[in-house]
Amino acid sequence: MIDNLLLKRIGKMTDPASIEEYTAMGGFEALRKAVVMNKMDILSEVDAAMLLGRGGAAYPMGRKWRHLYENPRYPRYIVCNADEGEPGTFKDKVLLSQDPLSVIEGMVVAGYLFGAEAGFIYIRGEYRNIQNVFQQALDNAVKHGYLGKHILGIEGFAYTITIVSGAGAYVCGENSALLNSIEGVTGRPRVKPPHLADVGLFKQPTLVNNVESFANVPLILNMGGEAFRALGTEKGGGTKLICLSGHIKNRGVYEAPLGTPLDDILYNEAYGGGISTGRPLGFIHFGGQSGPIGFPEQMEGLNYSYEGMRDRSLAIGSGALVVMDNSVSIVEYLESVIAFFVHESCGKCTPCRLGTTRLHELIGRFCKGCAGQEDLSRLENMLTHITNLSACGLGQSVSVSVRSAIRHRRCEFEALIG
Amino acid sequence: MEKTLTDDQKKEIIHKNGGRKENILAILLDLQSASPDGYVDLQTAALVAGELDITESRVYEIASYYAMLQIRPQARYVLEVCNSSPCRFSKSEAVVHILEQELDIGVGQSTSDGLFALRFTPCVGACDSGPVIKIGDAVYGNLDEKKIRSIIAGLRAGHTLFRKGENHDR
Repeated sequence: MIDNLLLKRIGKMTDPASIEEYTAMGGFEALRKAVVMNKMDILSEVDAAMLLGRGGAAYPMGRKWRHLYENPRYPRYIVCNADEGEPGTFKDKVLLSQDPLSVIEGMVVAGYLFGAEAGFIYIRGEYRNIQNVFQQALDNAVKHGYLGKHILGIEGFAYTITIVSGAGAYVCGENSALLNSIEGVTGRPRVKPPHLADVGLFKQPTLVNNVESFANVPLILNMGGEAFRALGTEKGGGTKLICLSGHIKNRGVYEAPLGTPLDDILYNEAYGGGISTGRPLGFIHFGGQSGPIGFPEQMEGLNYSYEGMRDRSLAIGSGALVVMDNSVSIVEYLESVIAFFVHESCGKCTPCRLGTTRLHELIGRFCKGCAGQEDLSRLENMLTHITNLSACGLGQSVSVSVRSAIRHRRCEFEALIG
Repeated sequence: MEKTLTDDQKKEIIHKNGGRKENILAILLDLQSASPDGYVDLQTAALVAGELDITESRVYEIASYYAMLQIRPQARYVLEVCNSSPCRFSKSEAVVHILEQELDIGVGQSTSDGLFALRFTPCVGACDSGPVIKIGDAVYGNLDEKKIRSIIAGLRAGHTLFRKGENHDR
């Protein structure tokens, strides 16, 4: 175990929005460093850090930043995705409410690098109370010259951050839907390409990163990209915030270096501390509702890293680990997952709108024990349709959990055929 | 009980943070929580449209799209039970059961006095304290029968158990 880096200030500040306390604990050192660095060197450090996007898609941050940097158009916008809505995920909430200035510092560094004058942070409506804390942190940053005009006394370095509230739509966590929502139009996804780095907010080049990704930026600059990478593994650098929930003794948010053995995360007292019900592990749903489900035989000796997970057809996603003991029926569990997608499908494209509903009906038949012989292949066909035909990431990932379950627990579905 | 806001009070809310179109969700949420019936009525929607210089139909589209915005009158206290998988398999069904019994209504219904309504909500991001219910902006976690009954009793007695800016999940 190493000391917490990303969570090092959590719980240690009497006022999380206080500039004095933040700077006393190393805050804004990275920004001071960045403004005297060559911009190409900043990009190289971010590349070397091998930070994979922490919102869930694991897109390399270095690649995203270079893409935007190479677009010559101005103005450019910086957007922080704080629409944390993946069930089982509550890590961004910790940063937003208990160390908001780390997120702000990351966004200011991006503003400096890309020459953006406006940043937005889109915070989910369910976190209304946290929006107040974050606003306080923004106001303090303005007062102390870390936001506004002439930041750090530098002529021409002007940058503001505005909070935009969500109002309860999971799909707004999809970056293009989020930008639509900021523009004041209904938060439905756009058809991509074009990439948001080319045509983003108000059709301008835009950087969209997750809360945890931005909070990592100061760490990368302070310790250097390669040292940051070395905290994790070869393919993915840094530590990861993980959210333990369900049938696990110590539910909560933890910071684990990428590559930590999964058994440590589950059973070590410093993390999960074991299954809370005293029963054996049944399965773990990784990375949110759109992530895969892992079963014990698949997870033996598994290291929690991007490549380690991928090699077993699993994924880190948002960092959620919903732990279920062996009393939970996988089919019943999936019924709740698909019910969520039925609720959250935005309705823009037919394969997702109708597909999720049909899928829910089909899984319901298994739950009620009235599924027919042909229903399992019908279910698999429906999964293929939704995945291949849906317009955005929501529809395209509906099938992930169900497919992973059928691959490893086909017998449980077959046993329910009436 | 809150009184209906005057147009001037509503305008004050609309322009509190600059009155920009980008703030429409925060504006509608603020107006809704200040309204006595907990919803965005037609008159208010028209006022917002005029002040932000967008069409009424756009305001309606937005108000009807987002789960937290309501376009019909709501009960005084809407109890939202999280039914996403971390909560659902942490005994949220028992919570629903107790609430149904205590309030004598089913999920999706309101009590006849208009005081309580019961419904489901997707994840509110408090999975470390599930099962949870959300009432207004406040989240109550680690629920057991005693805690649920005391929350309801408190609300019935007119205690303002939930205040803005406060969480009750510990």
